[in-house]
Amino acid sequence: MAERQDWVPDEVDTGLPSAARLYDYLLGGGHNFAADRALAAKFIQVQPNARTIARLNRSFLRRAVLHLVDAGVRQFLDLGSGIPTVGNVHEIAGRAAPGSRVVYVDFEDVAVAHSRMMLEHDDTATILQEDMTDPDAVLSAARRTGLLDFAEPIGVLAVGVFHFVPPERDPAAVVAAYRDAVAPGSHLVLSQFTSDLQPEEMAGVVEVMKSSANPMYPRTRAEITGLFAGFDLVEPGVVPLPLWRPEEGAAEEDAERAGIFAGVGRRG
Amino acid sequence: MRAIYPTAYVPLSPAEIELYLLDLVDVVADAVRAEPFTAEPVAVVGSRLVEARFTGPDTLRRTVEVLGPALLSGPEPAGAPGLAERAVAILGAVGSDFATAMRLDAFDQQEEVKQALLAAKRRAERGLRVSEARFREVFDAAGFGVVIADPGGTCVEVNEALAEMVDRNRAWFAGRRLVELFHPGDAEALAAAYRAVGEGRVERFRERRRLLRADGEPVWAHLAVSLLRDDDGAPAYQVTMAEDVSELHLLQKNLSFQLLHDSLTGLANRQLFISRLEALHSRGEVTLYHLDLDGFSLVNNGLGHEVGDRLLKEVARRLEVAFAGEETLVARMGGDEFAVAVVDSPAVPTLVERINEALERPMDGGVALSCGIGVVDRPAAGWDVAELLRAANATLRRAKAAGKRQWLPYDPHEDRRSRVRSARAARMPGALADGELEVEYQPVVELATGRTLGHVARLRWDELGHDECLEPAEANGLALALGQWALREAAGEVAGVLFFELSAMQSRDEDLVRAVKRTLDETGLPASRLRIFLDTRSMFTETGQDNARVLRDSGIATGLSRFNGGQAELSLLAELPVGALVLDPSVVGRLADGPEGFLHDAITGMVGLVRRSGTAVLVPDVHDRERAEWWARVEVDAAFGDHFGPAVPGYEL
Repeated sequence: MAERQDWVPDEVDTGLPSAARLYDYLLGGGHNFAADRALAAKFIQVQPNARTIARLNRSFLRRAVLHLVDAGVRQFLDLGSGIPTVGNVHEIAGRAAPGSRVVYVDFEDVAVAHSRMMLEHDDTATILQEDMTDPDAVLSAARRTGLLDFAEPIGVLAVGVFHFVPPERDPAAVVAAYRDAVAPGSHLVLSQFTSDLQPEEMAGVVEVMKSSANPMYPRTRAEITGLFAGFDLVEPGVVPLPLWRPEEGAAEEDAERAGIFAGVGRRG
Repeated sequence: MRAIYPTAYVPLSPAEIELYLLDLVDVVADAVRAEPFTAEPVAVVGSRLVEARFTGPDTLRRTVEVLGPALLSGPEPAGAPGLAERAVAILGAVGSDFATAMRLDAFDQQEEVKQALLAAKRRAERGLRVSEARFREVFDAAGFGVVIADPGGTCVEVNEALAEMVDRNRAWFAGRRLVELFHPGDAEALAAAYRAVGEGRVERFRERRRLLRADGEPVWAHLAVSLLRDDDGAPAYQVTMAEDVSELHLLQKNLSFQLLHDSLTGLANRQLFISRLEALHSRGEVTLYHLDLDGFSLVNNGLGHEVGDRLLKEVARRLEVAFAGEETLVARMGGDEFAVAVVDSPAVPTLVERINEALERPMDGGVALSCGIGVVDRPAAGWDVAELLRAANATLRRAKAAGKRQWLPYDPHEDRRSRVRSARAARMPGALADGELEVEYQPVVELATGRTLGHVARLRWDELGHDECLEPAEANGLALALGQWALREAAGEVAGVLFFELSAMQSRDEDLVRAVKRTLDETGLPASRLRIFLDTRSMFTETGQDNARVLRDSGIATGLSRFNGGQAELSLLAELPVGALVLDPSVVGRLADGPEGFLHDAITGMVGLVRRSGTAVLVPDVHDRERAEWWARVEVDAAFGDHFGPAVPGYEL
């Protein structure tokens, strides 16, 4: 059992770290517990670029959402949305296109409770507690929210989550189920850890994450590209995070140390 | 910008970030050159960094690294203090502000995540409690028997239904072997099957076997046995569900269905509805709709009961269809009354519309129906079911009173008023017996001369005046007894002429003439001193008209009261021997309230007409001089009301 902070109520077990709170910590957030920060320390030890990777991933999410808004998408299904930290999808989309609707999906109790608190008074966004690898459950719950119109394009976001989906859950079939449920003009935004970049560090990360509630499964670029089956990849395809449509004036980033491949596909 | 940007994730474009940071640089640049110098203005820089989420572990260090040399490289300011001191002061202010903002921000975030954690925990606990409670409910309320046994085949718990099936006390089962529950002829085969489940070799089995009643009689039952495993996958319990399939049982089931369902429509009956409503209400948000078909007696009388029954069946079917999408219970409460309980009801007007649409489509023989609806929407948990049904029914009655195809939501204020009225009506017989009611007298004054012609009898019950006493009395049927009592009281007390208004019920009473005569005999009041007024509307019945004629023939001056001047009422004057009439208090009230207008002209005309026919006109409820003068101009004969004298007890006369 890790140390408890005095602000944490006694009866709540904060011993088991979670990937959502780890990500929050790496992004500079304070929505995390000692166990999460201890895990983060180990993570940074094996992958010193961890904070940068977290930032680049979050930044990719922002660029991708804005790209989708430009392409006319006004509704989003954010799978594995995690702790609502900075720059959430409904904030980005809502700023670029007021009235955009977002359905967040996560399975982790605290992340869901947190999101629920945050979205309490927001009628354009909601959170569902579902397992994203169970598309039938997610889709039927999403339909019941009444927020998403499945006859119109939907942005399906799976940013930094598929590396938590083990091969036996058949990630390709999971993506396919979402693909088949959405209208033409819908997009898939996906990013995940890869074993192609810094293989040694990646192996270390896999080892570290084995001790958490969320073990990791990095994939090769070819495997990640395969997840986009049935989607037309938009330029520049599946690339390391900073190379996906960098914004003008952005700082030079080291793509070789970016850890994660990202891509956006459009359903024709 | 390049230095700060990579230290944390900021949800802005590089261009936006640059603008934001330049703004802060301006604040610093202005401060370092300002005369006299103060570091105060730069204090906001730290918190504005935190505000925009520049909160990485390196953010402050990089900021200082950039700002420090830049501040020192500028031109030396003319006056003291020197540039280096200013730079230190500025960096110190930025740093301490940043640290404070970070600390507060961390508190906020930790507070948030703590709340989230608690919320998650509470939800999980509630989920557990709910699922336990659900299990409990299913277990306790199930119509089929359930036995939970350990893997070794020893009973842990049975539910009431199983205990009933074998006619034993639940305590009997504790510690018994499962096979002891069964007929000896089945026990051996079952023992083997149970063993296979208990050891985890078989997950479930189904068989038809005989349970053994306490009296040794077998009870045929369908068994469904399944294995429950613990978190580690080891066998934890074997659960047996038993459905009684003996003929006796089936017969009973059928009987109980009949006892709990309406035989005509197959809907739940009132009894079942009440017990289900109790369960639904205790679980949460239930909305109750109480319906009564409009004018259904017309259908029954006009088209026959056979058609009426067919229509009721059709109404039942349509109601079930109309509520099909909801978690509901539809019941026939009796006659042409139905009730629907809906869990998490959509907006009430929507459902009311659905009901109306369902009924208005023509049915058998082209009959289209409508109904009145009383709605109690999501009552507080504290209400008991009897209270709920009462509220729904009272609301329905109010809706029906408003006309056809009306609905009303429950209104606590209106309900309270009507309950006060009902309570009063209910208490009135006792109050009358206990002498709480009194008869008082008001002078009746001839307007032309100001002379007092006599006194009119008025009822009083504490603060309630004459009409307020009569209204509940008419409602509870006490009006007859009350009227006779009042007449006797008044006849005995009044010295001069007694003006007496009979209630509607009295006016139609077959026994009226005899009762009046007896009163005169017993009190010694001569008939010549009595002016009796019958209720005008009661004159549309034969008994009422007979009463008027016979009283007149008995030498009693007879008039009409509550006369509103309608055409039908005017025509009565030609048919009946009416010497005088008292106008309806509501007409008098309306004249008093409104400005001079059409109504005044109409009444003036009517009064003239009536008086020319030889009938005197009396006006009640005249409360002020102005009104008295107006009525005098209209040339009515006499009036009474507070203006001429208050109602006083007999001993003050």
